[in-house]
Amino acid sequence: MKYRLILLLAFFSFKLSAQQKQFSSDDNGKFVYYEVVEKAAARDSLVLRANNFIDLYKKTIKKQSATDTSFIANGVMVIDKTILVASHPSGEVKYTLTFEARDKKYRFWLTDFEYIPYGRDRYSNYVPTTKIATPLEKTPGKLSAGAWKDVVEAAYNKTEKFAENFKKALATNQNEKKPKKINTISTKKW
Amino acid sequence: MKKFLTAIFSIASTTCALAQEASTSPLEFSGSVDTYYKYDFAKKSNIPTSFVSDHNSVSLGMIDLALKKKTGKASFVGEISFGPRGQTQSIPDAANGGSSFHIQNLYINYDFSDKFSMTAGYMGTFIGYEVISPVGNFNYSTSYLFTNGPFQNAGIKATYKFSDKVSLMAGLFNDWNLYSATRGVSSIGGQLMISPVEGWTAYLNVLSGADPYGYGTIEDLTTSYQITKAFKLGLNAANYDMADDAGGYAGVALYPQVAVAEAVTLGLRGEYFKYKDVGAVKGTSYTGVTLTANIKSGGLTFIPEVRLDHNGDKPFLNKTGGAAPNAGQFSLAAVYAF
Repeated sequence: MKYRLILLLAFFSFKLSAQQKQFSSDDNGKFVYYEVVEKAAARDSLVLRANNFIDLYKKTIKKQSATDTSFIANGVMVIDKTILVASHPSGEVKYTLTFEARDKKYRFWLTDFEYIPYGRDRYSNYVPTTKIATPLEKTPGKLSAGAWKDVVEAAYNKTEKFAENFKKALATNQNEKKPKKINTISTKKW
Repeated sequence: MKKFLTAIFSIASTTCALAQEASTSPLEFSGSVDTYYKYDFAKKSNIPTSFVSDHNSVSLGMIDLALKKKTGKASFVGEISFGPRGQTQSIPDAANGGSSFHIQNLYINYDFSDKFSMTAGYMGTFIGYEVISPVGNFNYSTSYLFTNGPFQNAGIKATYKFSDKVSLMAGLFNDWNLYSATRGVSSIGGQLMISPVEGWTAYLNVLSGADPYGYGTIEDLTTSYQITKAFKLGLNAANYDMADDAGGYAGVALYPQVAVAEAVTLGLRGEYFKYKDVGAVKGTSYTGVTLTANIKSGGLTFIPEVRLDHNGDKPFLNKTGGAAPNAGQFSLAAVYAF
């Protein structure tokens, strides 16, 4: 019994620490996820890798404008609601991604987050219930405060994961990727 | 002690990983439960549309559970339901002499490409504005158009998405509302979806072949337009003709809805429905006005509703059991979607 209580406490303490992550706000009060990465590759490589990343995820993110060293793209990410061990899509969050590269460093930020709720259609598929999006910065009423908090938290988690993938892509030189060596076993000599 | 600490650290690391990652599972699980209270002003079960059948009783709707999984280009959906709304009132059921499989949707889908897909199995019907699940409707009671139209279509269909604004579906189906065909795969159906402007979607539907009434053809228009953030307008119009002029129906329903507060939306349903004349026998007609509120808090929607129906042929009963041209009811429903 004592061990079960301690295990429960350990579980909830980690859950609480995860819940404290949240968006920062910019000068206009809009939610923003901002990162500057130093000790990166050369500027041209960074721009190439960033463009390749956008091409790879072209179904969910589209470039709106670009220069030699930067671009602005609009994207959408689907957020989920978890029930027990399974989940289902609960909505989508639109965002704007801005990327700027300099030699050996780059920065990017995601902002203009807007949420569109999903609902179950007659075939049990989750589809947008409206085309009109709501900014994530909106202050919810009392009745929807709990649900809105979950939406913002899920959006943050997805944004964080996006940022990780983006940084990983910018840190990886696709051309220099060495093929994995496959261990071969000979059964002739033993 | 060592085993205990190992257990703690492994649970902690798993929990941390879960907390930091987006929680997307390959298996989607969702559902709903609903319950209601209805009071008929004549103290009779007067209004003959689907569900909300019990007078002066806190009654069950259904518990509805849905699974969906997609692997590559293939996906399946399985949805089962239990309770009056999810069994005898909406699907073939043992109590009604049918097979009690509790199945609302059971189908497989394959995306041949981004534009072309095929689906086969037992599916919620593509006809009409309202659906069986209370989560999919604004009003808790249903229209005459819904009650008299198809609920499910078992069959195989192909959908081609020309663009986000236009798609076309065509399929072959069993008779309506049956798990197994009684007269072969004898219905043909189609749907044209158009989205002329953002927020406005219209579906032109047709289904022709075997149905519970015999053989017939139904043409249906279902459309909704989110005109502003606060105001949405829906419309459903349908015409059904049985073969050999054996009957049918036609009707139209309008669904204006306005968000009066963040969590509160008011909606009106105005419907005109008429059964077709059969020979010298004139078909009867109904008009109905339903005022509904949706009050949402997270997954819970609280639905108070008042409905007034009229039929000049006096099919309703008054308090004393006499024939009456009018019927009215008040209902309170709670629907929780998860």
